[in-house]
Amino acid sequence: MTSGRRAGILAGVAVLVVLAFGPWIGGFLNIDTSFLSEVLLTAIAALGVNLLLGYTGLPIFGNAALFGLGAYGAGLAIKDFHAGFAVALLVGVAAAFVGALIIAPFLLRRRNIYFGLLSLAFGQVFYFIAYRYSDVTGGEDGMAFTRPALNLGPIRGTVTETMMYYITYGLFVLAIVSFWLIVRSPFGQTLVAIKQNELRVRYLGLNTDRFILVGILIAALYGGLGGALYGLLLRFAFPLLLDWHQSGDFVLMTMLGGAGTIFGPLVGAIIFVIGKDIISTITPAWEIFLGAFFIACVLGFPKGILGSIGDAIARRRAPAEPNETAP
Amino acid sequence: MLEQLAPQIVNGLMLGAFYASVAIGLSLIMNLTGVINMAHGSFLTLGGYFSFAMVAAGAPFWVALIAAPILTALVGLALERGLMRPLYGRDPLYSLLLTFGLSLIAEEVYRLIWGSNGVPVSAPAALQGGISLGTFQVPTIQVFTAAILVVAMSALWLFLNRTRYGLRLRAAVQDTEMIAALGTNTQTLYMVNFGLGVLLAGLAGVLAASQLGLNPTSGNALLMPAFVTVIVGGMGSLLGALAGGLLIGMTISMMTLFFPAASDVSMYVIMAVILLIRPRGLFGEEGLFG
Repeated sequence: MTSGRRAGILAGVAVLVVLAFGPWIGGFLNIDTSFLSEVLLTAIAALGVNLLLGYTGLPIFGNAALFGLGAYGAGLAIKDFHAGFAVALLVGVAAAFVGALIIAPFLLRRRNIYFGLLSLAFGQVFYFIAYRYSDVTGGEDGMAFTRPALNLGPIRGTVTETMMYYITYGLFVLAIVSFWLIVRSPFGQTLVAIKQNELRVRYLGLNTDRFILVGILIAALYGGLGGALYGLLLRFAFPLLLDWHQSGDFVLMTMLGGAGTIFGPLVGAIIFVIGKDIISTITPAWEIFLGAFFIACVLGFPKGILGSIGDAIARRRAPAEPNETAP
Repeated sequence: MLEQLAPQIVNGLMLGAFYASVAIGLSLIMNLTGVINMAHGSFLTLGGYFSFAMVAAGAPFWVALIAAPILTALVGLALERGLMRPLYGRDPLYSLLLTFGLSLIAEEVYRLIWGSNGVPVSAPAALQGGISLGTFQVPTIQVFTAAILVVAMSALWLFLNRTRYGLRLRAAVQDTEMIAALGTNTQTLYMVNFGLGVLLAGLAGVLAASQLGLNPTSGNALLMPAFVTVIVGGMGSLLGALAGGLLIGMTISMMTLFFPAASDVSMYVIMAVILLIRPRGLFGEEGLFG
């Protein structure tokens, strides 16, 4: 293990430890606990985007559908089947997984820009379904439900905002550790190889479609988990959760934090969710700032914040090396 | 039955012409520069608002029909020069996010200038009323709209296939470096190409304003069907965009008559079927993109 890697792990652990005191720090800074939960669950969903975008090099643009399926799945389980907290969460994740299983065979037909287009278009299918089938989903008005009590062995009781934060935090830790293990595994390394040169991976005898399929399904698990948590946080699900604008937000925060880095989605989610909140209290025309923010990020920070920091560290470590270009 | 069916057919033709002209613009831009232009819907809306402002200021509709698309294209050219040029050759995701950001800004700017509720746009008096076809009538404006768009697309086809500059544009899609080496300024080529796409969007926007309504996000309603049209018709094919657009326009129009609940989803079903049996699209060329 190199010293750089050890420093990275230490920094990651430190971030997780700090987050464990989230509600306390939030109280200090006058930030709502539910708001911090939103940051973490958004980061969980963005991890899925990161796996496809940052590690596999696939421009996914329909991930909001998975997020929304998670929220609706959890909501319907509660509203129509009186599910408990944990079951609702699982149903949400399962809904996103099934959704991904349906669209993945189509997405696999194409790569590059076409993949982006297809994910965008197929993502919209779910938006229209949520919007149209108002008998089930409540249509444009959305669907309200309650937040059921947690009934998980010794842990039981109503889920308060603080408890909601710690559930989200626990799942975030689980998500980030699993993500770290995935991208380090031979499977994750194969995804990176596909990003660099899919043809060569094929020549090595690997069925790249199968790897990408599993990648999409894993991304759906993260997206669905984030969405289910969001539904349980708001006690509400609405069609705009599945809209391509939401997909764009996920892609932007992933790239802003640094696509292809473990903590990039978290950094992006923190800046994005908090920035959006601050700007929208100042001016109703916050979308202008959001758009300008998009443009500034694309033109100024193409590698994202963590990516740029990583580059700077690498440059300081090896000043003699000729400037290398990204593959 | 025919009395009900005929207006839906004409409506489907018009929708198809809209989808096709938006899809051709998208496809032109995507083919040459690899940019997925998410702001294309905003250019449509802008064309509509420009013509609305001109008519409100007293200009005749015919003047607005020509001037508004040109103004829209000029705005497009300025944005292409200022913001998009640095992104050519980079990951398509960057330009996608950039144009996405542009569309967010555009929506809000339209809202600030023209209000968040739609503005009423009516067709000029000469085009109101219907064309009588025996026992039933079809609206004149819809026939006119479809005809204008088909003429515009035909003109574009002639430009691309019968002029030297059009030839260079098509050649640049095949091999930009070679075209540059042979002495064509590819930056200008990119600009002209982008301008053409936006010009077509502006024209469609002017016509769509009276038919589909005009509000800050109205152009985006045409964007998604146009993306689907590009996929169904095939990337980089004018004929494909036209065929795909008509297929989807007709399907949506017919579904509205027979099974309205599924009208939005029907085009995605078509897309899924096409992808399964012919991944490159109806008239797409293999290997142009992914």
